[in-house]
Amino acid sequence: MEISVLFFGVLAEVTGTQRKHYLSIKSFGDLKHRIEDDFPEIMHYNFRIAVNNKIINEEPLLTHGDEIAYLPPFAGG
Amino acid sequence: MRLIDGPVSPGTISEAVTKGRKNSDCGAHSLFLGQVRGDLIEEKQVKAIEYSAYEEMVIMEADKINKSILSEFDDVKTIEIIHSKGLVRAGEISLLVMVSAGHRDQASKACAKAVELIKDKLPIWKKEVFEDDSRQWKQNE
Repeated sequence: MEISVLFFGVLAEVTGTQRKHYLSIKSFGDLKHRIEDDFPEIMHYNFRIAVNNKIINEEPLLTHGDEIAYLPPFAGG
Repeated sequence: MRLIDGPVSPGTISEAVTKGRKNSDCGAHSLFLGQVRGDLIEEKQVKAIEYSAYEEMVIMEADKINKSILSEFDDVKTIEIIHSKGLVRAGEISLLVMVSAGHRDQASKACAKAVELIKDKLPIWKKEVFEDDSRQWKQNE
């Protein structure tokens, strides 16, 4: 399946991108490994992950076309 | 909830107040304005903050904040939230929260609660821009 991955804040800066498309993804674990292979530096940062605008606390089941976002600690206001 | 480019202008603040006044069953409006501070950090002056946001999720989370405030405070009638994205200079306003209620007690308590939830729940990030144009990511305290 195809999954869009968004990076925000400091993570957009360290990955050098705001959005990347991943093809032939088998599972969330597979996607995470591919992201970590592409951008190993993100592992040095704190972040939470959202799937389709909702923060996840456990490994989700992905479906084709899902949008994943890597979110550093929020700093609004 | 609205995300606007640049600072929340005096005109926008005035519009929010005017809109709130149309609600004739309200006896109190509590208005919070967040301003960009010109902090001095390691001898460098902050001249602006650059905001970025996950806009879709900001709108969804702000809607949840609205609902949670309305269910916790039964006297609250409306909540208006406006947050900046992009560059806001020191001394300019980057956040407006206005809570309108029947009476002052819930208006001010709900407004304070909404500000805390905004800082905690909205996917917004900020970078301090110093006078020498260097930048650094800032986290909420």
